[in-house]
Amino acid sequence: MAGTLVEKSRKRDLRFGLMLTAPSVIIILMLLGYPMGYAIFMSFHQWNDKLGADHQFIGLNNYGQLITDPAVWAAMERTAYFSVITVVGGVALAVIIAILLNRKFRGRTLARVLLLVPWAVPPVVNGIMWKLIFDGSVGIVNTILRSLGLIKENIQWLADPTAAMNILIFAETWKLLPFLCLLMLAALQGIPESIYRAAAIDGADAWNTFWRITLPNIRGPLMFALIVQSMWSLKVFDTIYVLSGGSGGPVSGTTTINFLDYITTFSNLDRGYGSAMAVGIMLLVLIVSAFWIFVFGGFSRKRREANG
Amino acid sequence: MGEAQSPVSAVSARSEPGREAPGTQRKHREISSGISRNAKRRLVAWVCGVLVVLLMVFFLAPFIWMIAYSLYPSAALQGSTLDMGFANITFDSYSRLLSDSSFLVPMANSAIVGLSTTIICMTIGAASAYAIARFKFRGRQPLLLSMMTVQAIPVIVLAVPLFILLRSVGLYDQLFGLIITYTAFILPLVIWMLVGFFEDIPPSLERAARIDGCNRLQIMYKIAFPLAAPGMAATAILAFITSWSDFFLAKVLTISTATTLPVRTAAFQGLFAMDYTSAATAGVITAVPVLILTLIAQKWIISGLTEGAVKG
Repeated sequence: MAGTLVEKSRKRDLRFGLMLTAPSVIIILMLLGYPMGYAIFMSFHQWNDKLGADHQFIGLNNYGQLITDPAVWAAMERTAYFSVITVVGGVALAVIIAILLNRKFRGRTLARVLLLVPWAVPPVVNGIMWKLIFDGSVGIVNTILRSLGLIKENIQWLADPTAAMNILIFAETWKLLPFLCLLMLAALQGIPESIYRAAAIDGADAWNTFWRITLPNIRGPLMFALIVQSMWSLKVFDTIYVLSGGSGGPVSGTTTINFLDYITTFSNLDRGYGSAMAVGIMLLVLIVSAFWIFVFGGFSRKRREANG
Repeated sequence: MGEAQSPVSAVSARSEPGREAPGTQRKHREISSGISRNAKRRLVAWVCGVLVVLLMVFFLAPFIWMIAYSLYPSAALQGSTLDMGFANITFDSYSRLLSDSSFLVPMANSAIVGLSTTIICMTIGAASAYAIARFKFRGRQPLLLSMMTVQAIPVIVLAVPLFILLRSVGLYDQLFGLIITYTAFILPLVIWMLVGFFEDIPPSLERAARIDGCNRLQIMYKIAFPLAAPGMAATAILAFITSWSDFFLAKVLTISTATTLPVRTAAFQGLFAMDYTSAATAGVITAVPVLILTLIAQKWIISGLTEGAVKG
């Protein structure tokens, strides 16, 4: 009797739970799941809206083209340059800044709140902001350099492919760093103080304390930060669009793989090839995430072995 | 330099005589260190202080600079020397943009889309998150996990199919099309955050309510929702910010009538000519609502953003 009552209640729980989750699942399946399947479907077709409405099935041809396309490789190279600096550099810098902000000082709370400003600035506005700063004729950077006597003529920063890419990295770092800092700060605050005290009593110096206590203790959040930042770096778009005036230029200088996909799909209207590229980007995101999990998994295993 | 210094700072901050056992630690320190150590510590503190101030300047200056740009006429900025006296300040570009319908319409669109998306996401998302947090039904874990994986999908994969889908049902360049698309993209984030907040509510409270005769639905909106209210507010703000700030989907899924503020703002920069004052003004107007909301909910946003990572 009691058993059936519990059974009945559980069944009702289940029904209630399904009822509550159904709307979300339906919306997500309809607007994320279906388009996702459709994109994969498109990637197997010759689907170029410039050529007409005849969508021929061409199997893996789009993917084959992807591997041999020099534009893709050039974009991949730029993506790698951009991502390695923003991910590895960004997270490393975030750890350092978080350690700095984790000290007890007056205005610590204020500093943490101010970190939210770059995080909150919409990416488009971020692009406008840096465009104003590095602008060739009215940018503050030129004004400062001129008044310091370092340059005589204004430099057209955003007209040089290499400089534009570095400015893009700088602008993105400005925006992403605060979030990473907050993440690392929260991780640092989770380390029990007693461990540090014990280390100090054992006479550990700062260097050892950092490598043997701080770093291993923030391993999980560190991996999370690297994965999340990798995802963001691989799909950077808004800032490139604004900085380059929607062109990914100058001379494709800021065309990362994601932006190349945008140009392919929406300027060249080659939807099939664009879809293949998009699927490729998605695989890339998965591979990079798996890479970080592997690195950190290996790291923790080695530690466990070292500890016996 | 910073790399070498920071660990020092962390250790010295941590190993400062704690409140728990001041006597023994201080004695230990005085014996082993003396004055020079103390002076060194103060120097480190001073250097760190300077670094923090520089950092804050770095994080705030670009935005303040944009505000400054929005307040001066282009002519004052374009000369060889910057003419930034207070007398030159003008709110002209603000009044110009805020009376220009080609700017006001996108602004209203952004507000409508943002608010609608937030309300729908919170209604549907809170119910789902509550179910995931409370009821142990099969597929609960995979469901939660898939919410996270959705974040990994590059939006560009979905852009063309969404474009085709919305066009075929007549929702291309319509506010409603944008609203349901944003809802789908933001729901996983909302559910992910809310599950955490609901799991923090002790189930005993709900059991008590059930004994008192509340049914499942009543327990949800009379007990669980009010208790999670601060977290729900923060989640709602985050949902609004995400929708308000989006550029890519709005760019792809609208062309004129349903254009949003970020798309309009981005249009201020042409490839060759740029109206600097207007661009800066539009940038400030686009950013200010988000900044205000962020500062209101700062405490919850910080914990909401970081908790999942640190816990998991």
